[in-house]
Amino acid sequence: MKTIGTANARTPIKLGLLLLLCPILLWLFLLVILPQLTMLNISLQERVAPRIYEYGFSNFIAFFTEPLYWNTFLRTAIMSIIATILTLIIAFPISYYIAKMLRGRAKGLLFVLCLIPFWVSELVRTYGWMILLRESGVISTFLQYIGLVDGPIEFLYTDATIMLGLVYSSMLFMVVPLTSTLDSLDDSYIEAGYDLGGNGFSVFWHIVVPHAKPAIVSGCIVVFMLTLGNYLTPILLGGKSSLWFTEQIFTQFITRFNWQQGSAFGVLLLSISSLIVWLGLKLSRQSFSKVMS
Amino acid sequence: MLNHMEFDLQCTDIVRKFDDFTAVDHVSFAIKKGSFFSILGPSGCGKTTLLRMLAGFDNPTSGEIIIKGKSMNGVAPNKRPVNMVFQHLALFPNMNVSENIAYGLHRQGINKVEIKHRVEQVLARVNLAGSGNKQITQLSGGQKQRIAIARCLVLNPDVLLLDEPLGALDLKLREHMKVELKQLQQEFETTFVYITHDQSEALVMSDQVAVMNHGQFQQVGDPQQLYYQPDNAFVAGFVGDSNKWSASVIDILPDSLKVKTTTGLILSVSKVDNKSLIIGSEVDIFIRPEAVHISQQVTANLQDNHLNIKINNILFDGANSQLLVEEQNSGEEIKVKLPQTAEFMHLQKGDKLQISFPFQQVKTFPKELEVS
Repeated sequence: MKTIGTANARTPIKLGLLLLLCPILLWLFLLVILPQLTMLNISLQERVAPRIYEYGFSNFIAFFTEPLYWNTFLRTAIMSIIATILTLIIAFPISYYIAKMLRGRAKGLLFVLCLIPFWVSELVRTYGWMILLRESGVISTFLQYIGLVDGPIEFLYTDATIMLGLVYSSMLFMVVPLTSTLDSLDDSYIEAGYDLGGNGFSVFWHIVVPHAKPAIVSGCIVVFMLTLGNYLTPILLGGKSSLWFTEQIFTQFITRFNWQQGSAFGVLLLSISSLIVWLGLKLSRQSFSKVMS
Repeated sequence: MLNHMEFDLQCTDIVRKFDDFTAVDHVSFAIKKGSFFSILGPSGCGKTTLLRMLAGFDNPTSGEIIIKGKSMNGVAPNKRPVNMVFQHLALFPNMNVSENIAYGLHRQGINKVEIKHRVEQVLARVNLAGSGNKQITQLSGGQKQRIAIARCLVLNPDVLLLDEPLGALDLKLREHMKVELKQLQQEFETTFVYITHDQSEALVMSDQVAVMNHGQFQQVGDPQQLYYQPDNAFVAGFVGDSNKWSASVIDILPDSLKVKTTTGLILSVSKVDNKSLIIGSEVDIFIRPEAVHISQQVTANLQDNHLNIKINNILFDGANSQLLVEEQNSGEEIKVKLPQTAEFMHLQKGDKLQISFPFQQVKTFPKELEVS
């Protein structure tokens, strides 16, 4: 940001450039910055009497004093981190296989196969999982049919099911950056790694991972953000026991009509997720601009 | 098995087939300990496939590779006592110079103090002492080259494989690196196997050169042998510069042949060890530009080929300058080396001269049926 500022100070801003930037600036301002500022404003208001509000921190204090709120929040954050790690662990071999093992048509085909499920809306995909996993669903019926179990089994409404849904819906956002980055790793680096005496693990750890690091970090950021802010998957697959933080926000805004509390939750969600991403970048010693480029 | 000790690398009857294409076709050779062996051939001749089999990245369809008396069949690349310098060097960009060199030593489980010592030692030997903390991107082309070699040599391999590592360098640096590589090889006394399509690289550096074409070794010998006694038309044409003509035999003399080229030029050429050659046989004849003597007066030696020529073009290239001349009767074009001496300084396009060359200098090979 600093460099852009100084560059602008030196060269006069051209009208053409400004006009070209107009849509993105408007979009950023109207749909991102303005609503967030309004939310911050609402979150800082507390009701003292009907239709009379004063500025204060009571909405934020309520978050920390009510165990249900911050427990839900903690649970959401931890589940999201676990989902991100699981997605990475599953996506890495897939990406490596597509990028390094396959050649020609098979490569494109498999990549498209990863993409195809995302042509269907998330809602429909999640209902698909419900058809498979519910008590009278495909898997339960099949297990009864082959005689493995006596009665119907309910697979839905557990943490494992939520995790499954979250990992499934995030997979693409990890596979795409990883595949394109691994594709750019020249085979001779891997061969040189083996040639100099490395085994599979050391080549992976000292050559493949450092090369893929920016993609790993950017994939993780995107998946983490999407998971943390996901609403559909936890509600549909987790049911009442999902205890997802976005559900709390929804409840405050829609059910209880407490916009002040809901806004405070929204602001908290944004700040904590930003903090976790910042921590992740620091820990992996990557810069945000490098990761996102 | 005494002879195993002399040779660092032996290959017997190596074949590598890809579906119905044979990339390497029954190749056998042995490389003496501490020598510089080059495999020279045009692109697509199978030399890279052969090198990759030596490194262990590919396996022969049949045949055996023996390094220091041990068969390498089924031995993984990381278990072979060979290291490879890749075409684009493949220096790890996420590591600095020392870490690149130390990578292989770490894999052997050597302790850190020893590694540091050996890295410093090898850096000094390639004249890059003190560059350990530099990033790979900070190095020049020649320095990267030396680091890539140092990274392999620090592991004391029995054989070092080099896959055209000079290809990406500019001409001046390439000339310089040729000499440097040869010096490094002598200093480390490691066996080098070097593949290239550049004959000058192969001739300057090597103790032994194998010329390869269509997956087969055409000839193995020292550079002088390849240059002066090529075994076949491919080697004669590929190594060094040559005038090549198709001709047919018109007379067989006790120690030479008389042939007539397609344009009608009649020449005396050396005889081949081929009993099947009869009058009318098709042959390829080769004469090197530098073997042709040019003179302004007629010299009398009836056995030599004497031709009256006219200068068509002067290709000035310093010490490698050539004349493109045309034989007066047949119009056959001949490349002739132009000595940069006072005698020929004033030569101009259109000048008429005499050229001569002894029949022994003209190599003759029976026409090959292959289409190239």
